Amino acid sequence: MADNHKDLDTTGHQWDDDEGFPLQEYNNPLPKWWLNSFYATIIWAVVYWVLYPAWPLPDGFTPGTLGETMRGEYQKEMDEAKARQKVFNDKLEKLSLKDISKDNQLLQFSISGGKALFGDNCAPCHGPAGIGVKAGGFPTLADDDWLFGGDLDTIHESITSGRTGQMPAHLKAAGGNFSDSQVDDLTAYVLSLSGKSSDKAAITRGDALFHGEATCNSCHGDKGNGSLKGTVAGQPLPQIGAPNLTDAIWLYGGDPKVVRESIAKGRSGEMPAWGAGAKESGRKLSELDIKKLTIYVHSLGGGQ
Amino acid sequence: MQHSTIEKSIPLMAILTLIMVSIGGLVEIVPLFFIKSTIEKVEGMRPYTPLELKGRDIYIREGCYNCHSQMIRPFRDETERYGHYSLAAESMYDHPFQWGSKRTGPDLARIGGKYSNEWHRAHMQKPQNVVRESVMPAYPWLQENELKYDDIEKRMKVMSMVGVPYTDEQVANAKKDLPDQASSTADGAGLIKRYGKKVPKAEFDGKPEKLTELDALLAYLQMLGTLVDFSGQQTKAR
Repeated sequence: MADNHKDLDTTGHQWDDDEGFPLQEYNNPLPKWWLNSFYATIIWAVVYWVLYPAWPLPDGFTPGTLGETMRGEYQKEMDEAKARQKVFNDKLEKLSLKDISKDNQLLQFSISGGKALFGDNCAPCHGPAGIGVKAGGFPTLADDDWLFGGDLDTIHESITSGRTGQMPAHLKAAGGNFSDSQVDDLTAYVLSLSGKSSDKAAITRGDALFHGEATCNSCHGDKGNGSLKGTVAGQPLPQIGAPNLTDAIWLYGGDPKVVRESIAKGRSGEMPAWGAGAKESGRKLSELDIKKLTIYVHSLGGGQ
Repeated sequence: MQHSTIEKSIPLMAILTLIMVSIGGLVEIVPLFFIKSTIEKVEGMRPYTPLELKGRDIYIREGCYNCHSQMIRPFRDETERYGHYSLAAESMYDHPFQWGSKRTGPDLARIGGKYSNEWHRAHMQKPQNVVRESVMPAYPWLQENELKYDDIEKRMKVMSMVGVPYTDEQVANAKKDLPDQASSTADGAGLIKRYGKKVPKAEFDGKPEKLTELDALLAYLQMLGTLVDFSGQQTKAR
């Protein structure tokens, strides 16, 4: 290196005493624009301390003159959403379910809202878009095979107050009154209703039990087509959600083994209540939310 | 002091550096221990029951926190789904807390009471049985493994050491309270007296004959986020 170090600007700080080429600190000033931005950030920090919550104090913190808080922001966000939806929600609150479904704009609004509510609250059991979950006996909501009814008012009632279904056990070992072979006969008859069994002798014996000693017809109807559509001796059945046994749709599964298990050990299903006074069953939904859900479920494909 | 003096003495520079860094730390951290609003007082918080504490240990053992957070942030899209945003006080007895930062699965801060025990059983056995598109792995061993709780008193004492206010009575009765909570036959009067009426008490795993790890985990899950009652406006905006 040449002797040009003498021309360089240094800080004046020198580490050694080398006469010819001392080790010293160059002074390379920072670019003006950089330095100015740096000073600007410092000034901004001071402005920020004044405007926003910043410094912790022994008994609190400096709140800032703008009064901004996370919770305040949140409340604003919620209020804005509420105001945006107010036009629709006000109408929804006043109108009956039938009138809502007639108004296309309100219908779309309810379906979008209902879809979000359904995804979180209902889909864990009924599956996404209500496709049902066989393993737990959670019914499909996207078909027109209903247990309690698929019209708007009935769906609304099911969501508000919940539903319970009780199928008693029939096998002696499980607390019922019938032997193994009798349960086999009943299974054969039930399967024959949807054309899935051809053991004629067993079907005949099962038929007699179904309409006789086992009194299956008192819930499932004389034709086995369920409490919703069926009749016993010409009279309508109590609405207890006994499934239709004559179609290809099964609540717990239509495999002979599963059907036999349903008859032998019985089944119990519970749909929790979501309406007022149903706190213990989880999160309570507002009447407005239930209305939206009703419209959504009704729109899934099976609404009547 | 001359700059060169500091530069030429490593011990002196180390000490001065330490002082500088400490000032930053003290200003940022120390006030948090004294500010009242760090943990605002809320009603309803109680320490975990022995069974819930065991369940929490299983939650941590199985690494649930890797995919599930327990922290609802104050945003509309979170509270519309998960419920009221989380308060610091709600994890005041958590050591360590389970806030997490990764949500492969949903937030669990308020999962308590949202789904039935039956649903949880089916779900733990094989999540896809109830939620088809779920990517959660199955935990079938939970309802097979017997719950070991020989160390429960010790566990509670350790919690007391880090600030959980377990009473001597609660520790002394832990071995009785623990199985009582998962039994539908035990009256659990002592348990309720010691931990309050809100304690979820059920045959969580559906097996009366055996106390399993699933009993503990479900007891824990079913109380998460249920202690503070938000029906009245308890928290002021601040």
